[in-house]
Amino acid sequence: MQRIVLFVVYRLIMRPLLRFVLGIKWDGESDFRRYKQFILVANHNSHIDTMALMSSLTLKQLQNTHPVAASTYFGKNKWLGWLSTFFVNTILIERSHEGNGPKALDVLHNHLQKGHSLIYFPEGSRGKPEELQSFHKGIGVLLQQNPELNYIPVWIQGTGKILPKGAHLPVPFEATLTFGKPRQAHASNVDAILDEVKNALLSLKTN
Amino acid sequence: MIAIIFAVLVFASVLFWIMGKFNNGPQVQELKTRTKSWWIMAAIFTIAALVDPAVSFFAFGFLSFSALRELSSISKNIRTEDRSIIFWAYLAVPIQYYFAYMGWFEPFLVFVPVFMFTWIPFVLVLKGHTKDIARSMSVIPTHLMFTVFSISHLAYFLSLQKLSNFSVGGRGLLLFVVFLTEMNDVFQFTWGKLFGRHKIIKKVSPNKTLEGFIGGLISTIVAAYFLQFLTPFKTYEALGAGLLIACTGFVGDIIVSAIKRDFGLKDTGNAIKGHGGILDRIDSLAISSPFFFYYTYFLYYS
Repeated sequence: MQRIVLFVVYRLIMRPLLRFVLGIKWDGESDFRRYKQFILVANHNSHIDTMALMSSLTLKQLQNTHPVAASTYFGKNKWLGWLSTFFVNTILIERSHEGNGPKALDVLHNHLQKGHSLIYFPEGSRGKPEELQSFHKGIGVLLQQNPELNYIPVWIQGTGKILPKGAHLPVPFEATLTFGKPRQAHASNVDAILDEVKNALLSLKTN
Repeated sequence: MIAIIFAVLVFASVLFWIMGKFNNGPQVQELKTRTKSWWIMAAIFTIAALVDPAVSFFAFGFLSFSALRELSSISKNIRTEDRSIIFWAYLAVPIQYYFAYMGWFEPFLVFVPVFMFTWIPFVLVLKGHTKDIARSMSVIPTHLMFTVFSISHLAYFLSLQKLSNFSVGGRGLLLFVVFLTEMNDVFQFTWGKLFGRHKIIKKVSPNKTLEGFIGGLISTIVAAYFLQFLTPFKTYEALGAGLLIACTGFVGDIIVSAIKRDFGLKDTGNAIKGHGGILDRIDSLAISSPFFFYYTYFLYYS
């Protein structure tokens, strides 16, 4: 049921809307079509980012791919939490310094063990358009724990103009999601992995 | 008539495909993309003719919207505070095309140059960021003029009243101007390749030569002679239209070239991956269509 809903929402409604009305383009997305499990790692400027990334997934991938979001933001009330869990397939986690629920990374690690995929914004929150902020450690730890797992760097250009932080009205502007080739982390310590991922993202920016 | 269009298109596609086999340079690619956009235009035209003319109003409106979006995205002259103002600019598209669809000529004529040219500066003032406001006040309405006002004239051809001794109607005129404008581009390019020596505006567009321009001009006038059955024109009026379209098409082409140069871009976008943007497709049309529209209007519809 949810699978059909997600397919209708993202492939049939959201994608044409994003493409023809907002002016979003997906570049190189076909490379990860055949992958069952992966982490999409992207820079983050706008709520549009999650929508655009979800719209790039296939029917099979949609149900088992979860954007990772902060519960303090999307879990503010039950209604919003349910909406984002059902329609965006979100995993709500608590930022490391807040609350005392289960450790966020354990939750994510469990999902990965089940074979699920993640959409991950290592900057944590939306930053200034086209500027990469410093990364939170989480992505490095996950890739260290799961060295066989493929991650796909995605550079998102221009969505910060469509719907920047604090704005409520999306305004059409051209934006591009550039997908890199799926790859595994080579380094073994967390900081080196973070650098690797960061460079992978930045290398897509210049193209 | 539709059969003729598709025959020409098939001929052009096959010709460029063969040319591509011998020399697949960027210029042949350019010709191929142009033919591709003609196919799309022809398809829209056919659907409009066979199904419902409203389809073409929607299609041209979407073309205007995409071009405006592209221009707003590449422009270096729009401030980040202007986001919501750009939203107002987009709203002008459905309104302008609604006037065209209803055939309300006066509102169609004054909406952008009188109303939007006041409304955009007014909402900019209400926003209150005065730093560089004069630049936004001039740039945003000019974008509207170039992408919305001008292109909407193509749609208005379909709303012109019927003339008693001219059965093809506005559809023919629309086809005439689109075809001649696109053909003029190709003629200029081809003649320039064959005989081009003297560059016209080296700093803006190094490919534009005097020989290409003159060759294109003459070829377009000849083409206008053969296509005059699409219009209510007498022969000399058709030749005049060819001259007008060739000259104004050239102007539109170099205006967009200059804009691209200013922004440091080769192509204005990536509407189709690896090809130019929408502005590159409509550059000549954006100038030639309103000029040709009023040429026809003053001769036959006023």
